[in-house]
Amino acid sequence: MNIIIALAVGFSSGALYALIGVGLTLMSVLTRVINFSLVAVGVFGAYLSIRTSPLIAGASLDVQTVITVVVAVLVAALISGILGWIEATWLSEATTTARSAVTVASLLMLISLSFILFGSQPQPLRPLLIGPAFLIGDVAVTKVGVAMLVAALVVGILTWIVVNRTPLGIRLRAVSDRQTAAELLGVNVKGLQVGVWMVVGGVMGLCASIIGNTAAADATSMITLVIPGTAAALVGAFKNIPLTIVGGLVVGALQGALTAFPSTTQLRDWIPILVIVLFLLWNQRKEVWDVAR
Amino acid sequence: MSLKVTDVVVRRGVGPVISGVSLEVHQGSITTIVGPNGAGKTSLLESLSGIIPIASGGLEIDGQEISTLSRRQRSLLGLKHVEQGRMIFPSLTVRENLTLTARSKADFDEAMSLFPELEKRIDSPTVLLSGGEQQMVVLARTFAARPRYIMIDEMSLGLAPVVFLRLVPVIQGIAQSGVGVLLVEQFAHLALRAATDALVVTSGKVSYHGPAQELLADEALLRNAYLGQ
Repeated sequence: MNIIIALAVGFSSGALYALIGVGLTLMSVLTRVINFSLVAVGVFGAYLSIRTSPLIAGASLDVQTVITVVVAVLVAALISGILGWIEATWLSEATTTARSAVTVASLLMLISLSFILFGSQPQPLRPLLIGPAFLIGDVAVTKVGVAMLVAALVVGILTWIVVNRTPLGIRLRAVSDRQTAAELLGVNVKGLQVGVWMVVGGVMGLCASIIGNTAAADATSMITLVIPGTAAALVGAFKNIPLTIVGGLVVGALQGALTAFPSTTQLRDWIPILVIVLFLLWNQRKEVWDVAR
Repeated sequence: MSLKVTDVVVRRGVGPVISGVSLEVHQGSITTIVGPNGAGKTSLLESLSGIIPIASGGLEIDGQEISTLSRRQRSLLGLKHVEQGRMIFPSLTVRENLTLTARSKADFDEAMSLFPELEKRIDSPTVLLSGGEQQMVVLARTFAARPRYIMIDEMSLGLAPVVFLRLVPVIQGIAQSGVGVLLVEQFAHLALRAATDALVVTSGKVSYHGPAQELLADEALLRNAYLGQ
């Protein structure tokens, strides 16, 4: 029974990793960047939204909640859009490695700004989803876990529809294939890329608003969720969204399974790193020694 | 109505790769640029479309100075650049490649009519097409965008001569429809035969500028121009 409970706990975390992985995959495919600041942007948006509380104190609790979430989404989208604009303006011809390295700098900047503005304590985010969504026997599956999985699936399906069935999707794929060639044909590359940054940033703002009050909601704990998110995205090779979702759930399930036994609980944080290392080794299995060196 | 290049200088790294090149492409005409490998022909086209900056000199499209505009803005003004190496969008089908640039169904149909052989591959990803078919997609896609001027870089690169011979009449047809064509080509004789004006570029400088037929008719003149004499 313990292992089933542990897997259910793992499901909630895994669904969150899946959503983050989907965001990372989208950005990798559409804007050629592994965005390590992805979760930080969402957390920053969610934390800043708390500052609106004194301004809307007169409204009902439901209205306050909605306004706070909307502000979180908008702020996260705006910050993400600014970062995307910087990348698209000054790093449009840079390699994926260089573009991704810049997001590490953005991540560090957001972490330090977060400490300055909010300190190191968890912030009082409004609870959006509380309690179990349903029970499997005695095991409760949380609303947050279900919401994260639904969000990952919805984002994945909507992305598939937009990319494969709309004129906007044709432009996005052209930019993803050959940015310069698309620009020479008059496609608004910068606008599209900033748009992708804003949408994914907004989704992360929503995500942070939902999970912010459910666990250890200090900035660092939430921001480091990008590591298991990256592990999930790696399972999908930063290309395949369904595999990314599966990867997130598997990472969560493995972590949950480890918590079933007191002697292995401490190892749960190793799982994402282990998945990342295994994936990188697997990915290089056909490399010739001198080439890989 | 012309694409006018005046004393353009282009630098890559420490030194100039193009020095003081001037030319004018009129709508409805074909101007061919030939020259040995490494002469700077591709750099010149890349500077005109905005891929690399122009260090000095002027670039006008129908009287409007565009040398400071972005590559997208230049494209929206009607200057299209077909890069060398068949720059298809691999994940897009033939239909999607044309849909990307065509503003209307009429534009789409007219572009498709240039290459009826693409009809049977219209829903195939372009990555699966042959080299010749991919070049056809690139040309059709560019024509669907209703350009005023097209710059085509080494269209024959990697293609069998017979495929290139299939493409040349299409380029002439595009020019006859009122588009100004600037053609950079390694098959000098074939390209000159299709052109009205010609430039020979060697070591980043123009060594000949005049009627294409005159250059074609005088083998010694062509050879001397290639040698920069």
